[in-house]
Amino acid sequence: METAELKLQLKKQIIEFLNLLSVKPDDIKDDEPLFGEGLGLDSIDSIELIVLLGREYGIEIKDPKEGRKILTDINTMVAYIEQHRTR
Amino acid sequence: MTAMLYIHQTHCIQPQQNPLQANIELINEPVDNKLLAFEPSYEQIPPGILRRMSKAIRMGVGAALPLISQPVPVNGIIIGTANAGMDDCVKFLNQIVQYEEGQLTPGSFVQSTGNVIAGQLGLISKNKGYNITHMHLGLAFENALIDAIMQLNTNPSNSYLVGGVDDLSLFNYNIEKLSGDYKEEAISNKDLYNVDSPGCIAGEGAAMFIVNTIKEYAVAKIMAIHTLHSTDVEFVKQQLKIFLQNNVQEGTEIDLFLSGENGDNRTTAYYTACETLLNYNATIVRYKHMIGDYATASAIGLWYACKILQTQQIPAQMIKHNLTKTVHRNILMYNNFEGLQHSFILVSAI
Amino acid sequence: MNRIFVTGMGVISAIGNSVAENHHALQESICGVRKELDLFPSKYAGVLPFGQVQISTELLQKKFHITEPGVTRTTMLAVHAFNEAITAARLSAVDLHSCDTALVGASTVGGMCLTDELFNDANKKTNGSVYTSSYDCASVCLYLQKRYHMNGIINTINTACSSSANAIMFGAMLLKNGFAKRAIVGGTDSLAKFTINGFNALHILSPDICTPFDEGRKGLNLGEGAAFLILEKEEDINGKNVYAELSGYCNTNDSYHPSSLSEQGDGPFLSMQGALQAANLLPDQIDFINAHGTGTENNDAVESRAMIRLFGKPPAFASTKGNIGHTLGAAGAIEAVYSIFNLMHQEVYPNLHFINPIASIGLSPVKLFKKMNVKHVMSNSFGFGGNCSSLVFSKV
Repeated sequence: METAELKLQLKKQIIEFLNLLSVKPDDIKDDEPLFGEGLGLDSIDSIELIVLLGREYGIEIKDPKEGRKILTDINTMVAYIEQHRTR
Repeated sequence: MTAMLYIHQTHCIQPQQNPLQANIELINEPVDNKLLAFEPSYEQIPPGILRRMSKAIRMGVGAALPLISQPVPVNGIIIGTANAGMDDCVKFLNQIVQYEEGQLTPGSFVQSTGNVIAGQLGLISKNKGYNITHMHLGLAFENALIDAIMQLNTNPSNSYLVGGVDDLSLFNYNIEKLSGDYKEEAISNKDLYNVDSPGCIAGEGAAMFIVNTIKEYAVAKIMAIHTLHSTDVEFVKQQLKIFLQNNVQEGTEIDLFLSGENGDNRTTAYYTACETLLNYNATIVRYKHMIGDYATASAIGLWYACKILQTQQIPAQMIKHNLTKTVHRNILMYNNFEGLQHSFILVSAI
Repeated sequence: MNRIFVTGMGVISAIGNSVAENHHALQESICGVRKELDLFPSKYAGVLPFGQVQISTELLQKKFHITEPGVTRTTMLAVHAFNEAITAARLSAVDLHSCDTALVGASTVGGMCLTDELFNDANKKTNGSVYTSSYDCASVCLYLQKRYHMNGIINTINTACSSSANAIMFGAMLLKNGFAKRAIVGGTDSLAKFTINGFNALHILSPDICTPFDEGRKGLNLGEGAAFLILEKEEDINGKNVYAELSGYCNTNDSYHPSSLSEQGDGPFLSMQGALQAANLLPDQIDFINAHGTGTENNDAVESRAMIRLFGKPPAFASTKGNIGHTLGAAGAIEAVYSIFNLMHQEVYPNLHFINPIASIGLSPVKLFKKMNVKHVMSNSFGFGGNCSSLVFSKV
């Protein structure tokens, strides 16, 4: 899958998974922080996103602290998915 | 008799877009014996928080925010709810089963706790004061009121948000249907009181009140409240008799009986027994055909009591019995939940 | 002065089925948390440690002749503790029937300990189990009301992990405001697949036995149990045995996050401060704190900071979660009983499994059992939704 395609798919999945009302894929910039500023996600969302990576891409992240680095923005997530996906 | 508390502002979300509709032909009707709330757009709830909320939480927070975003903050938040986060609870449960206790998303677990409405209100309004959730089923709202009365007794200069909220999620409907709470046959709410069958029609809603000890500009006052558990009609009647003796002063009388009658023929006898203790000319008003029945429906009942005292008008289709009375100053509310949990509340004009 | 006294108590937990057994186990530093779970099938049975009460549901049912269908383990644990408490306070059947006797219970799990039955009923996969009226947390007090024919005010409170501390507080308020002459107050929760998976999803269940206030703490262990106390006004004591005075209480909200506490612990600080004020005590008059101390990264650090904020140098403190696990809705009431042990026996119990203080804070809880003068004890309970409550018990 092309990186651009994966990015769009991931954004759609995040929106659905976190029930981000009224957010569209285009609203999420690739290099905008997902937590705090930007989308304004919080610690519960970070755990939800780790579960998303597990269910959709077969990626297992044991340590939530490590997870936080991977979940910095769409670019970091996609880079990690491309390297570690098992499905 | 001194007032136990004064009610200042009120707000509700319930199945009727126009809760004071006088024409029975124009009230919203149930679909499959369910009266679902007419929800606003919740502009006051930040979208980042709204996205996680189930209906009970939305309605509770949505009904409370217009009241607590006032310049003078309340000193505490007191909520009564039977189910609160039930919807999220079953959603999480379904995840446990579907993913066989594997990696689960915690969002719905966090939202499933019973205290989620009061907790969210504390969070959104940055209120660090008293914060509590009463969950005693059909008396959850009444216990919240008793709590508010006691808080005000201890801290007379404070004011509190007190409210009752429950939603009708698919899951709690299924469970309550299985335990026989709802009617088997589909009926219109216009016929609710004429059908002789067990069960009620399901409803949902949220009603919120700002209460304090200040008489000026109040819309109503609570003079007395009593709760009991019993399946004995005579005992309930006797308790009401004592309640009236203790709380209705010489020279005053109950002008209006706000009845929680809900069309369930298993509880009609209680209402009939209570009505026999009223004066012949007391007006009798019913509201469950408007909102259906649920554990904290009496909170909406109190909202109606406040409106009647404030406006001295009663939507004609809500009246069961009225002879000559045009002024209503003292309202007796009686509610019966599932033939076991009873409450009497005496609400008066200022 | 409307002083509120405790005139009876009952408790059941992973370290004992009675007041005497719990007291003995605390004195002996017994840990009831084990990698053992046989109440229901779960992926985590034998994997994670739990504080399971050592009495089967069937035995509980038999012991109390519970013949009605639909009574859950949560309720049976409550019956066990309730029964011990009313016996200790010598409440008669007439006392229990009286309109002046209130019952204030607390639970977070309620009948949801029957996770699989609830799943089937909620999704309409059956024609209805016998439990359809038992899932909500009110079902516990509704059963007690029916079993003991109670006619006073009955209530059920749920403020997550601080639930039963608030039940105690509400009971005391009922007495002070003339809504009741005596109040039976407490809480109950049993282990459930629901809570195990919930806390696990939040990554706050420890894979090992919990180590509250330790630098290397990895999270909490879930436990189960119940406790009830009888509260009466000083003027109604009539020579009865008095265990302790409930001298102060306060409920606040941290108003920060749905499932974790704020960095500086405003909610915990304010609840401890408010309870002190209600008891009319100065910080240095508190001899011991039964801390909430769950063993999570967040709670223990925040609670420590809040104690330092209020007390400067905090008094002796310890968490009993290392003995029994976190019993959620029962925790406040069970720990109230333990706090009263501190006063009755003039002793404090060690915070089990503690080795190193949290580096950035440097506080150490009580490490060894010791006899000491204890006049005033504070007990903390903090929960999801920002709900914080503190109680103060005093020696009479």
